[in-house]
Amino acid sequence: MSEWEYKPAGDAGLRPADQWRSLQREGGLPTAIAHGAWCALTGGYLKMFHRFRIEGRERLPPKPPFVVVANHSSHLDALALAVGLPPRFRSHAFPIAAGDTFFETKATAAFAAIFLNALPMWRKKCGSHAMETLRERLIGGDTIYLLFPEGTRSRDGAMADFRAGIGMLVAGTNVPVVPAHLDGCFAAMPPQARLPRPSPISLRFGVPKIFSGASNDRAGWREVAAALEKDVHALGDAA
Amino acid sequence: MSAFAHPATVGITIFMAALLAITPMVFEVLQRRGRLTPVLRQELYARYFSWLVLVPIMVVPILLGRLWTISAFGLLSLFAYREFARATGFFRHRLLSAAVVLGLLCLIAAIADHWYGFFSALPSLFVSLLVIVAVVEDQPKGYLQRVALAIFGFALFGVCLGHIAYFANDANYRPMLLLILLCVELNDVFAFCCGKFFGRRKLAPHTSPGKTWGGALGAFVLTTALFAALGHSVFAGTLLAAPIHLVTMGALLSFTGQLGDLVISSMKRDLGIKDMGATIPGHGGLLDRFDSLLFVGPALFHYVNYFVGVGS
Repeated sequence: MSEWEYKPAGDAGLRPADQWRSLQREGGLPTAIAHGAWCALTGGYLKMFHRFRIEGRERLPPKPPFVVVANHSSHLDALALAVGLPPRFRSHAFPIAAGDTFFETKATAAFAAIFLNALPMWRKKCGSHAMETLRERLIGGDTIYLLFPEGTRSRDGAMADFRAGIGMLVAGTNVPVVPAHLDGCFAAMPPQARLPRPSPISLRFGVPKIFSGASNDRAGWREVAAALEKDVHALGDAA
Repeated sequence: MSAFAHPATVGITIFMAALLAITPMVFEVLQRRGRLTPVLRQELYARYFSWLVLVPIMVVPILLGRLWTISAFGLLSLFAYREFARATGFFRHRLLSAAVVLGLLCLIAAIADHWYGFFSALPSLFVSLLVIVAVVEDQPKGYLQRVALAIFGFALFGVCLGHIAYFANDANYRPMLLLILLCVELNDVFAFCCGKFFGRRKLAPHTSPGKTWGGALGAFVLTTALFAALGHSVFAGTLLAAPIHLVTMGALLSFTGQLGDLVISSMKRDLGIKDMGATIPGHGGLLDRFDSLLFVGPALFHYVNYFVGVGS
């Protein structure tokens, strides 16, 4: 008789405040319900106030793991990207969010972890260790990352250069990366605005790419980032 | 009915408060006599500070009323199951895990409704349901493990803990539950202290290296004596006030309490983890603290129910 295999939750043994900030966090039933309810709420809001349209869902890989990268110009981006995925993927999808904005206090960390299902990326103190943890989790599990490789929201609506971080996650792996373009989020809620305006938003998914041939070093990371930046630009131009 | 209508409720509550008040003094006396190492002192204080929070969390719902008590034990049952599911990785089987949670909620509802027929029907109904739901994944690989973990979680954290909560349907529930909680927790303290002072032979070195025969026997004697002494007032006027019943119940409580501890230790060794969680500083997870309650519930419930009836 073979031995049973147990695999405790990645964040087992951590206190709640540390669990919310853990890159190994795995939600259970309560967080799945909270996150599902949040997606239903924001999905309804996006449809009613922004006539949210989604194109190219059929291009998404049939199952995790994969990464979705998109342009970033508004707080609405992460909501739209999460809601844009088919419901079966939602509990697997982790938006990578700025740690210093969403995970600084216990209250915001709890909200970001429980409702947004976000994982923190600390912009000022993000070491290679954190990227390595995210990469291992991606390769070894059924995880989907929602990522904005520009690193911050665009202040004028124009897309900035993609940073090499996305390359550190996928270079030399067989994990597909789906380029996506969000249109209308900047007009609806630019970084300077406190409240959104009811203008249309659309999301378009592109064809997934695999970077198994890219080297896992600086040159390879830049190559991945540049290729994806070009794809997201092309999706935007085609809109 | 007033929270303090039964004199034993007043007595046990005051006894608990007094214990909490004198504990730091005992630590300081031991410290002055050189019986505490800095590490042991730190560990004892960490546990003590946790007790300062845990005791009111346990006692206040019992004093507030029946539904408060059932809700508190219901939450304990749900959180204990959560720790188990996350430690084993069983939580990843979402549908099956949801079926277990539904089973726990049904048990809580049956207890709240004082519907013993439904409460006793639920184990067979939910075992059947879990066995069937596990088929839905259409993954024969690991089927037995999934089903076994589901039934284990439902039985231990639902059915067993549910028996403790069911006491809340008895008119005399406040002193009975306070007595059980006090004795179960002191049983652990007695085992710890007796083990420290005259424990030599290991009880189950592979399962729980810290436990000794000296600790276990010391706790058995002291807890049985304490239960019999306090229980005389709690069960006054009933058949169970007879010394033979009080001693039997005390012995049952101490024995099953220590077995609960060993069962959870065994589970942790199998999983290769130190604690079931990190909810309570100094104690680990809820299951690390309330493990001793698991089998005390069914044992005492059926004993009391057989001789005088619970909630009848």
